[in-house]
Amino acid sequence: MPPGRWVRRDSGPVVRPYAVTGGRTEPADGEVLDIIAVVVAMPGSEAEDDDLQRRTPEHRRILAMCQRQATVADIAAGTALPLGVVRVLLSDLILSGAVTVIRQRPAGLRPGNDVLQEILNGLRAL
Amino acid sequence: MAFAPSDHASDAALTAHKILIAGGFGAGKTTLVSAISEVRPLLTEEPLSAASVGRDSLAGLPGKKTTTVALDFGRITISDSLVLYLFGVPGQERFWFMWDELAYGALGAIVLADVRRLGDCFPSVNYFETRGLPFVVAVNCFDGAPRYDLGEVRLALDLDEDVPLMLTDARNQASVKNTLIRLVESIAAGGEGLAPAQGRRIIAGR
Repeated sequence: MPPGRWVRRDSGPVVRPYAVTGGRTEPADGEVLDIIAVVVAMPGSEAEDDDLQRRTPEHRRILAMCQRQATVADIAAGTALPLGVVRVLLSDLILSGAVTVIRQRPAGLRPGNDVLQEILNGLRAL
Repeated sequence: MAFAPSDHASDAALTAHKILIAGGFGAGKTTLVSAISEVRPLLTEEPLSAASVGRDSLAGLPGKKTTTVALDFGRITISDSLVLYLFGVPGQERFWFMWDELAYGALGAIVLADVRRLGDCFPSVNYFETRGLPFVVAVNCFDGAPRYDLGEVRLALDLDEDVPLMLTDARNQASVKNTLIRLVESIAAGGEGLAPAQGRRIIAGR
């Protein structure tokens, strides 16, 4: 959404949220990405943009954010797109091979003590 | 907000963990998240589920199938490959359908309590107890609020002895940091391989 003179940040979306997904509310691959799943763009993916892929401006904004590893939540906050919309558009990019999922969800068990210790050290250093 | 300085799939994979910040409306969740991390609103366009029937009035809106909810979302960079996310979960009952997804795979939770409205945090305490998700209860020290002995608060909440209970100033970074440290320490003390939260995944658009 381009910033416009009549639209303030708190005005809310100008278009219906799922208009940018073509009305789709479910990811194309049926896989719902976790809110902190980590994704990253495949090298060269931005250059592969062509008519066949039918990328929308929102697809490109998401792809740009995926040039570095990012979580689904990072992308939703960074693009100001609703989480559900980001999931649908990300699944398009994943299906086309432009983006890959590094981690779908946190491990089933709680992390090991080494990870917890790293978190503790990081918190104490804040 | 700066993102972890890593490029493409060849770099060390980023690991993300999440901690939920719960509590009643006005308990100080937003304040707490912003005291320790940069906060950004995270918009969710959630399907109106059975949980919201009778709560969200749909009179005259036959086509309305989703509702927009803004979550407080904070990000703490621990290292180049480890990031901690804080999610403020909306406390009102009509948003409960979002909790399962947010709780899925979470490290643990901080329940913020306001002694003037202690009952507001009962649902959060019940939720995390039922799910077996590690949590701490942090009594937010509001200016002018009465001070109670923590033993009394524990009794009023019917809180297990092994659930940490502490005073917190949600506006103060050091205080919030200590609360997070207490939570992670209690998770570490809980033993390896503790059962995860049995969150049900929400499928969008149903």
